[in-house]
Amino acid sequence: MAFGKFLLKRTLQGVLVVWGVVTVLFGLRAITPGDPVNLIVDPAVDQATRDRIREELGLDQPIYVQYADYLQDLLVGDLGYSYQSSRAVSTMVIERVPATLELAIAATIVALVIAIPLGVISGTRRNDPVDYGATSFSLVGISTPNFWLGIMLILLLSVNLDLFPTGRRPVALHDALWMFLTTFYIGDLLTWLHHIILPAVTLGTYFTALITRLTRSGMLDEYGKPYVTATEAKGIPETLVRYKHVLRNTMIPIITVLGLQLGTLIGGAVVTETVFSWPGLGLRLIGAINNLDWPLIQGIIIFVGISYVIINIAVDAIYAKLNPRVLDE
Amino acid sequence: MKGADNQSTGRRSVLKATGAVGVTAGLGAIAGCLDDPTGDDDETDELVITQGEIIENPDPNDHITGPYFNVLDPVYEPLFNVTPEFEFEPRVVTEWEDTDDGAELTIQEGITFHNGDEMTADDVAYTFNRMIDPDEGIESDQAAGLGAIDNAEALDETTVLLEHDVAPSLAEFEYANYGRVVNQEWIEDQDQPIAGNDADAFNGTGPYEVVEYEPDVQIVLEPFDDYWGDDATLERVVFNQDGESSGRANALETGESDIVDNIIPEDVAGVDDADGVEIREETSLRNVFLVMKSGVEPFDSTEFRQAMNYAVDNQGIIEDSLGGYGEAMTQPIPDGVFGHNPDLDPYEQDLEYAEELVEESGHAGVEITLYSPEGRYLNDADVAEMAADQIDQLENVDCDFDTAPFPDISDANSAPYDDDEIPFFLIGWGVITGDSDYGLAPFFVEEAPQETLRNEDISEMILESQTIEDEDEREAQLQEINAELREEAPWVFLHSQDSVYGVRDDIGWEPRADESIYLWDIDS
Repeated sequence: MAFGKFLLKRTLQGVLVVWGVVTVLFGLRAITPGDPVNLIVDPAVDQATRDRIREELGLDQPIYVQYADYLQDLLVGDLGYSYQSSRAVSTMVIERVPATLELAIAATIVALVIAIPLGVISGTRRNDPVDYGATSFSLVGISTPNFWLGIMLILLLSVNLDLFPTGRRPVALHDALWMFLTTFYIGDLLTWLHHIILPAVTLGTYFTALITRLTRSGMLDEYGKPYVTATEAKGIPETLVRYKHVLRNTMIPIITVLGLQLGTLIGGAVVTETVFSWPGLGLRLIGAINNLDWPLIQGIIIFVGISYVIINIAVDAIYAKLNPRVLDE
Repeated sequence: MKGADNQSTGRRSVLKATGAVGVTAGLGAIAGCLDDPTGDDDETDELVITQGEIIENPDPNDHITGPYFNVLDPVYEPLFNVTPEFEFEPRVVTEWEDTDDGAELTIQEGITFHNGDEMTADDVAYTFNRMIDPDEGIESDQAAGLGAIDNAEALDETTVLLEHDVAPSLAEFEYANYGRVVNQEWIEDQDQPIAGNDADAFNGTGPYEVVEYEPDVQIVLEPFDDYWGDDATLERVVFNQDGESSGRANALETGESDIVDNIIPEDVAGVDDADGVEIREETSLRNVFLVMKSGVEPFDSTEFRQAMNYAVDNQGIIEDSLGGYGEAMTQPIPDGVFGHNPDLDPYEQDLEYAEELVEESGHAGVEITLYSPEGRYLNDADVAEMAADQIDQLENVDCDFDTAPFPDISDANSAPYDDDEIPFFLIGWGVITGDSDYGLAPFFVEEAPQETLRNEDISEMILESQTIEDEDEREAQLQEINAELREEAPWVFLHSQDSVYGVRDDIGWEPRADESIYLWDIDS
């Protein structure tokens, strides 16, 4: 199969997945009890006004008409208006993307900075106390729930030791960077860093544990391969073998996992953002769910779904380029 | 104030951050980069107020919720100053009197909006019409509180006529609680309701103007230099949002916030024990009760409804579930509201008498289910479960408990009095106008939006009370209605919950029953 055809096929599959997400969400909205008008206006508002609002929102139409209208609007990028705030859902989603991306990327950096050295050490010193420590950390890290870890970090490092703020995001990264680039003022950048450390560690811990395990097992696999014995037999220094050959080969699956995990991090930041009041998509989603603000709930989940699909297609495409045999499967 | 130390550009936070990230080695090299180019660094006296919610949109006429007014009132000032005792004092409106046509309001001259336009009587009239007439502007929740006002008209440059055909005191309660003036010319160029997402989406006449706004995250206010009245006393105020009680408590304890609202009982002890902060509380006008739809068996019997009240130990629930932060209700209207009857006592738990009343009602052996939302009111599901357990202790009533999504409960509340879908449920109601009518008419007038009890006499008494011109006479009528309703027992009267705040102990501010936080009342 040609690469172009492969990409087209994957894209069509992605469109089908997004359509599925949209349809399931619409179905959930349809079967959720409660009159949306009750969520929009004060309970004391009279029936005539309620009926008028219901009509304006199209809620008096049969469900298939509402579904067709919704799909039609989606095709032109119109996600509707929030019941609670009357603001355009597309704006409300897009303005929260930077905070979530900042957190996802910071969590990835935390994971890489800790996990790769730890995995390398663990993989090269098998059955050493360091290895036991790293594998124990991986086990604990994978098993620790986000919300518990976040709360414990806040209690210990914020409330008791007063080292870090409890979260929030007093300044956005792009504003802090702009300030730095235009005035060389670094204070905002440090403030941003100070505020993101605990949320990033919380969100990144599972990921750190996962990459540590992957790196360790990858290193052990590679060490068992003949080319390592051959390079060592040639007298190449062990450090060079470890970093130039073994680690480089180990990194290929890790980079694939990294790509896929970015989608998971964007969708999975809900708990961390809630614990730390980090103003990203997750926190907005929780607020929308609490208010049963369906247009906003749909908008956020569709956005996350589309991001996930795009990342997957991109990873597939890169994989196909690196390994053309995939095209024939 | 500690809050001042936590600005994004504060020296302390920069040093803390620097230490925390381990870049002290390079500190000397970057020291020159730490000076805030805006120059307002740590000299700014900043007050941070963290609420469970801030505003849904920047429109001052759209919603009717206390936390939104707290944020918007400094920017779009109220027409009147409302004292903690619910007295109305002049502010934007300097004089007001009732005429044959309605209420005539005289407005202060020389008031300007933050964009420099002068405020006119036309703006005031437009503001009211915008809320009560859907063709004029928006579907405002505040219309529910302005039900008595039919139309607004500017009579001259400084006089506005509010047409109404109810008692002057009822109309006054309504227009004095709402009506943050908007600039007609400016607002007609905005989305309806205003939906902007930056500081330009605000244009009021208040003592503070918005300098930063990030929806659902924070709003930053600074004094408006051309304010017509007394100068603002706080140099910079930040309202931010944290939906989690523990998050708000932590923000207070770490000095990131100076005032936080709605501390739940579980977090009270932690805040009280922390250094430099304290708990301050006030009984609110928010009343929590169990609705019994009187058109549905067994709740169609007055004896049965009274039995439910005798079965429940509401004082015990307040102690056990609310940590004491509540007041037992004696009637549908909480203490502090015009028309509350101070001579009534709460129902005391008496299981034997309750069983007798159930026998008298003819519904002995009945099975009922109490529904409750979860997370909408202070420990709501816990409160309802305790009440259901107590009712279940009656030998002749089997009471189950279940939670339901709030929209289901809200639907039940809006359903007719004989709707049997969910006839027995917990809900809350804030009598936010400070007048009993807002707590009585929606529930006890025939075919009202939340009709709970169909009782012709009580319905007529309420409608009559709306037209009694003499204030004392009207108060007496409302008190009598409350006494009648205590006997009719349309609800199981539970409690008015306390508003519990965490406050830095060096801040001079006391909570109010109406849950308002006015910046001009804060002495920092």
